[in-house]
Amino acid sequence: MTWIAFANLLINGLIEGLVVALPALAMTLVMGVNRFPNAATGDFLTTGAYAAVAVQMLGGWPLWAAALASMAATAVVSAGSYTLIFRKLAGRPMVSSMLAAIGLGFLLRSLISFFAGHDQRTFDLPLVRAWNFGGVRLLPTDVAIAGIAVLCLLVVFVLIYKTSFGRQLRAVADSADLARASGIRAGGLMLSLWVLVGALSAIGGVLLGMKAIVSPEMGWESLIPAFAAMVLGGIGSPVGAVLGALLLCVAQELAVPLLGPSYKLVLSFVVLALVLLLRPAGIMGRVQRVR
Amino acid sequence: MIAYLCAIGVIALIYCLLALGLNLQFGLTRLVNFGVVAFFAVGAYTSGLLSLQGVPLALCFVAAGVLSGLLALPIGLLSLRLRDDYLAIVTLGFSEAVRISIQQESWLTKGVQGLPGLPKLFAAWGPVSDVATFATLLALVALVSWGTVRLTRSPFGRLLKAIGDDEAALSALGKDPAWFKVQVFMLGAALAGVAGAFYAHFITFITPEQFIPLITFYVWMGLVMGGAGTVRGAVFGSLLLMVFLEGSRFAKDWVPGVSEVGMASLRLAAVGLALILVTLYRPNGLFGGPSK
Repeated sequence: MTWIAFANLLINGLIEGLVVALPALAMTLVMGVNRFPNAATGDFLTTGAYAAVAVQMLGGWPLWAAALASMAATAVVSAGSYTLIFRKLAGRPMVSSMLAAIGLGFLLRSLISFFAGHDQRTFDLPLVRAWNFGGVRLLPTDVAIAGIAVLCLLVVFVLIYKTSFGRQLRAVADSADLARASGIRAGGLMLSLWVLVGALSAIGGVLLGMKAIVSPEMGWESLIPAFAAMVLGGIGSPVGAVLGALLLCVAQELAVPLLGPSYKLVLSFVVLALVLLLRPAGIMGRVQRVR
Repeated sequence: MIAYLCAIGVIALIYCLLALGLNLQFGLTRLVNFGVVAFFAVGAYTSGLLSLQGVPLALCFVAAGVLSGLLALPIGLLSLRLRDDYLAIVTLGFSEAVRISIQQESWLTKGVQGLPGLPKLFAAWGPVSDVATFATLLALVALVSWGTVRLTRSPFGRLLKAIGDDEAALSALGKDPAWFKVQVFMLGAALAGVAGAFYAHFITFITPEQFIPLITFYVWMGLVMGGAGTVRGAVFGSLLLMVFLEGSRFAKDWVPGVSEVGMASLRLAAVGLALILVTLYRPNGLFGGPSK
């Protein structure tokens, strides 16, 4: 492989990684606080992407406005699903929450495909030519995607590490009992968390749709990579989720010349299994009780 | 009409077998297997491919069970180190990895085109071959049910239940639960493999598209609706699932103006809703069942 081909794959991997980092972060936040892998995260992404498509189709709005509307809509779906489902399953075996999350994913995906059909859709974006630096190609759209993703990640990190919302969230993640004893009200905090998760997933879905296409299965297909990124980075570690997503997607892209594009998901699975086998706590994670 | 009932009966029993396998893994031992369909697929393809090479069907079925069981060995070993939520996602990823591999390795599996023209079980018996398949499956399901009940009451079964209930206490008593977990995982997977073989030789045409994760969650829905942990739950749940799947086919006649594709979406929505409602309101299944 020439260095130019290598550079192109590397760039593509980094951009994909930034996109996957958003659902991985959304999942890690829920995992850290509510203690279950939210298998509906992928379908929150799909919901976000379709909400943006719908807004664009209805009003001919610019994509940024559609994305903002979609963040609001997906945040409502996310917070609603917490209030109606996951709040009531707290304290039950983890598999209950997971099954319910899978069910919720099916429900969202099928409602979308019922109303919008199974056809692939795309966002209304101007066609642009890639910049060419002596063979190293860079799409302006990809640069925009990377920029927006980085911006969103920064906003979330500021929220988690610099605000009282984040401090309370981390307190609950460390020890829910201790947090309650020190007067943190969990109810409103949880609702804010799920609003944040919904908005983050919506942006993830829009970026994923900008990078490729919008289809009812798009989010579900990113579930395993997002989970692998989360585990690779260390469960419950937000920074780890982002690093994990970047590492995973770069590895996937670099493996494409060897394995072909269809085996990307299989590679995600292999990475996931290997990390769990060799280093269950992930790159950034603390050792958790593994029974 | 007889042919239709027979077909539904066979499919119901295939789901029954899958649910009994999952019941061993999850119901008794609390191993969360979200990849049931992987072992089902491997069984179907093993038996299908061997039968096309002229291997006698009885041998194909055995091979399907053995290979699916062996494939469960590495996952079972991995499960020893994982909490149930990790295991759930790992098995789900595994089933997708298996499906994609089947789709891609077309030198072996003919890829998306699938394997047509698989021999039917009891093909020589002509018109009653489906009835004979149904009877064989019924006998097998009865045998597995009886075996599971026996197993639950044996010391080995009590051990499995204890693993599910409180593994730490069991280790403290000096029993090593590890190998038992792996065995149960392999046994459940072997049952799924045999179910896959029955499926392949009943439908006679298999493609990777038939082995999507949805199948796994059909089985879960059946088991959880019936009540996990009991044979009764697995069997009743599968029958209920069948009523649901077939009922939604008839529902199309009552809901005018909905296309075939739209109906498929609605059916998936109903599966999703059922999974949510059952976990929320009936964690022990519709028929109650002993709370664990």
